[in-house]
Order: sequence, then C-alpha cells, then structure tokens
Amino acid sequence: MKLENNIQPINYMSISVQALPINESFLRSSVAAFCTQLDPTVDQLNDIKTALSEAINNAIIHGCDNNPNLSITVSTRISANTVHITVSDQGNGIADINQAKQPFYTTKPELERSGMGFVVMESYMDTVNIISDKNGTTVELTKVLK
Amino acid sequence: MKILHFIKDNTLFIQLNGELDEYTANITRNYMDSMISTDGWQQVVLQLQDLSFMDSTGIGVLLGRYKKLKTRGCNAYISSPSSQVDKLLQLSGVYNIMPKIS
Repeated sequence: MKLENNIQPINYMSISVQALPINESFLRSSVAAFCTQLDPTVDQLNDIKTALSEAINNAIIHGCDNNPNLSITVSTRISANTVHITVSDQGNGIADINQAKQPFYTTKPELERSGMGFVVMESYMDTVNIISDKNGTTVELTKVLK
Repeated sequence: MKILHFIKDNTLFIQLNGELDEYTANITRNYMDSMISTDGWQQVVLQLQDLSFMDSTGIGVLLGRYKKLKTRGCNAYISSPSSQVDKLLQLSGVYNIMPKIS
C-alpha cells in the first residue's frame, strides 16, 4: 500500500491470518493496541473492537464460509486523528449489500445469527464502506478519535 | 471462556467469564443449554461482570437461550454487564426481553 507523504510507516499495520474464529480475539487486541497511539478513551477502543469483530465475523463466516484454507486480512492505518480499518476476504462476495445491511437480516438463521453485524458497525463507527464482488469483500471502517 | 453456575432461592445463576465471540459461542451455547435442561429453579440470572467482551454473535447466543427459556415459562435477567457489553445489549434491544437487574 502507498502511504501518503506525511504518514510515518509505523502508522500502518496489516495482519493476514487463516479464516478461523480462534484468531478473532488476537485481531481485536492487535488493532486496539495499535490505535492506542491516538490516546483513545476506553469506550472508543471498545467501539472499534466491537465493530471490527462484526466485520471479521462476516469475513470468516460468510465471506470464507468457515473455510480455514482461506485467509482474511485486517489492515489499520492512522492518519491525523482518524483510524481507518479494512477487513478483506477472498470469498464469494455479498449478493445484495443493501439487504445485508438490514437489521436482523441473516443468510444463516439456523446458526442463531442475530443479523446485527452491519447495524453495530454503522452505529459504532463514523463511516462504513462495503466493496464486494465475486472475488471477495472489503469492509472499510473509519472512526475519528478526538 | 469460563462458565460457572449455581442455584440459589429458585434462581439459576450463570456467570460468564472471558470473551463471548464466534470462537467461544458454541461452548457457551452448549453449556447454557445443559444448565437450562436441569430442574430445581424457576428463573435465570446471567452474571456478566467478568464478561470482558461480546459481539453480535453473543446476542444470537443469548436470544437463542431466551427462546428455550420462554418455552419453559421461565424469565431471564442480566446483571452487572461491563460498559462494552451494556452498550451492545442496549443497542440490540436485549433488555426488552431480558431486563437488567442490579
């Protein structure tokens, strides 16, 4: 990834792991630790961890369909007082993004999924952007930390 | 995830310690279901003071257990959630069916 001129290399982090739920806690903690350089409040860090967890769940369960042979990538970039997080998978993509964003909508109700993932992301972050096609999905989350 | 339980005054107390996410959802679901299938109590209190993290997967787990309790005619309550868990339970409306008690 190309960094803007005024950004130090230390302000970009990317982690790729197998699409396994056991990695979720590690990813949450790593991104939260990286964000501490902006001196966030505990509540802000919790918001980031929660929204991130939703994006990772989607990538592992829906994007990769729980296939541990696939990987997901979580990248975090800090620019001024804003944290930008992208969660990417190389899965089949989201057929209908607007439908996926509806509260309580889930393609896997038999798994007791709540369908709240995108609702949580949109309420906890400042922006949520979804890019999806048949080659995979990337969710971009941003939050301004004042 | 470490789960403890005890029965006191017709109440089944279930204490969740750790993080409730996709990785720990199954063990939590199975443990709670095995508790719910026992007798000797009439209501459930989930003690969440040591649940340090929960995401919407956890909401799904709680709602699934709520449905099972409802078929038994039993109420469930939530006590002492951390601020992270509390915010998510409020957002998702869980307190409407599993009220928060002190």
